[in-house]
Amino acid sequence: MESVETDQSKFHAKRAVLERPDYTVHEITGDDGTLIREYVTPAGKVFGVSWTGPTIPDLTQLLGTYNAEFQSSVRSKRVRRSAVAVHNADLVVESSGHMRAFHGRAYLNSMLPNGVTEDVVQ
Amino acid sequence: MSGRFIGLGGWHDSAVAGVTAVLLLTLAACSGGSSSTGTSGSTGVTTTTPTPVNNVQPVIMDYGPLVNGQYVGFNNVLYTTVTICVPGTTTCQSIDHVLVDTGSTGLRIPASLVTLNLPFMTDASNNPIGNCVQYADTTYQWGPIVKVDVQMAGEVASSVPIQIAGPTNFAAVPASCSAGGTPAQTVTDLGANGLLGVGLFRQDCGSACAVGTPRAVYFTCPASGCVATSVSLTAQLQNPVWLFPQDNNGLSIILPQVGATGAVSLSGSMIFGIGTQTDNALGGAQAQAADDVGTFTTTFNGIAYPGSFIDSGSDGYFFLNSTITGLPNCASNSDADGFYCPTSPVSFTAINTGPNPKGSGVAVSTNVAFSIANALPLIDSTSVVFNNIGGPNPGSFDWGLPFFLGRTVFIGIEGQSSSAGTGPYWAY
Repeated sequence: MESVETDQSKFHAKRAVLERPDYTVHEITGDDGTLIREYVTPAGKVFGVSWTGPTIPDLTQLLGTYNAEFQSSVRSKRVRRSAVAVHNADLVVESSGHMRAFHGRAYLNSMLPNGVTEDVVQ
Repeated sequence: MSGRFIGLGGWHDSAVAGVTAVLLLTLAACSGGSSSTGTSGSTGVTTTTPTPVNNVQPVIMDYGPLVNGQYVGFNNVLYTTVTICVPGTTTCQSIDHVLVDTGSTGLRIPASLVTLNLPFMTDASNNPIGNCVQYADTTYQWGPIVKVDVQMAGEVASSVPIQIAGPTNFAAVPASCSAGGTPAQTVTDLGANGLLGVGLFRQDCGSACAVGTPRAVYFTCPASGCVATSVSLTAQLQNPVWLFPQDNNGLSIILPQVGATGAVSLSGSMIFGIGTQTDNALGGAQAQAADDVGTFTTTFNGIAYPGSFIDSGSDGYFFLNSTITGLPNCASNSDADGFYCPTSPVSFTAINTGPNPKGSGVAVSTNVAFSIANALPLIDSTSVVFNNIGGPNPGSFDWGLPFFLGRTVFIGIEGQSSSAGTGPYWAY
C-alpha cells in the first residue's frame, strides 16, 4: 500500500477506500472527471474494476494482460463503435458510452469472493 | 500526459504482488470544469435576412462503399455525401457514403481518401496537433487536423477543422488515445468513407479541452512524441452545421419506416436549421434538453437510467441486459453476437425525460415504443435496414439508428436557439 500512497501523492490523485463486509472498494478520482473503482478481496486481490469518464482509460494499464484477451474477443466481432460486452468463461468486460461520456467494468468470475456477485462491480 | 492511468502492471499483476489499488491518474492541474453550454449565446445577430438556400441534404442507407469491388457497409448505417474544399477555393472533392453520426461531433475522413493538398494545423510552437476519438467498443481514430470548407446541400461552412484519420505521415498514436484499443480508421474498418459528427455540440470536446487538465483528445506533436494539450474552441473539430451562415441552430433527420424483415435500402433527408425555413418547422415535436455530455434519463419498468443517449451511429437499440429485459443474448459465436435473439418479437415502452430547453424547469417526458426481434435471421438476410434489432448496453439506453426510422428527429445544437429553446436538445 505504501507504493500506492506514494504514487497517489506524486500524481495528486484523490483516492478513497470503502470497506464492505466481503471486499474493499478503492475509488480513484481524476480532476478530468474520470472515476476508477477497484474491487479488492480481503486477500488483496483485485477481482473487478470499473470506469466512468470523458475518455476511456488505458486498458493495458487497467486490465493488464487481460486486455489482450478482451481485445481478441472484441476483434472477433465486427467493428460497430457502440457498446460491447465480452463474456468469456472467466473474464467479463463491458464497455459503453460515447464521446464525452464513457463507462465500463470488468471482472473475473474465478476471483469473486464467496458470497459476492458481479453486481457489486459498478 | 495527464488523463492517463498509471498502474503497476494491471489488476491481475497487482494481485500477485499483493498490491491492491494500483491505478492512479496523472493530474497536472486543477479541474477545468464541465463543458459549457450556451455561455456565448447564439451565433450572431444579423440585421439582414439571408437569401434562403437549399437546406435539404439527401441521406441513404444501403450496402455502403465499394472497396476492391466489394461492398463493405454494415447494417443500419446512415450515409450522406459531403463535399470538402480547400478553404476559399473551388478545389473540392465529394466523398460519398460518409456515416451520419449524431453521437459524435466533427468530420473525420480516412487519409487514403483525401486528394486535396491540405496543411496540418499547428499550435503556437508550430507543432502539428493530433486529434483522438474513442468509441465504446475501444476502437479509436487518430490523426492530424486540417481546415476545409464543408458543403452540404446549398450550405457552406468555411474553414472547418476536420480530422484526417490514420495517415502514415503523422505521429504514432499516443497510448492515452489508443488506451489499449484498436484503430478503426480505414474504409473497411468503418464500413464508411468517414464519419460526419452532427451531434448536440459545437465542438467534439468543448471547453473541457480548452482549459484545465488536458484530456486524451488533443495532442501537441513535436518530433519527440505527442503530449495531451489544451486547444482553443475554434481549433477543435466542429459540428459544421453550427458554422453555416444560416440554418445553423440545428438539424433534423427524416427517415421512413421499414417492415419487420427490414429493407435493402432506404432514402431520407437531413434538413439544416430548426424553424428557419418552411421545411424545418418543429410542428408537434417534443423538445427535451440533454446534459453537457449529451445524455438524458430513460425510464424502463419504473427504473430510471440516467446516461442514456440517442445515436444514429449505433446500429441497434442497445439497452440494459438480458436479466432486466428478459431477452436472451445471441450466441457469441454467431453473426448476431452482441445482439438479443428472442424466439419471437418482444414489444417494449420506455420513457425519455429531459428538462424543457426553454429553461422553464418543467421536465418533458416522451413515451417511446419499440420492438426487438431475433437479430440472427435478420442480420443473415439480404436486408441492411432494421427497426427491430438491439442488444445489451448495461446501465443505460443507446437509442440507435432504429430510433430514427419512421420519425423526424431534431437535434438542437448547444448554445443555439429555436422556438424549442436553447440546445443541446432533442425533439421528436
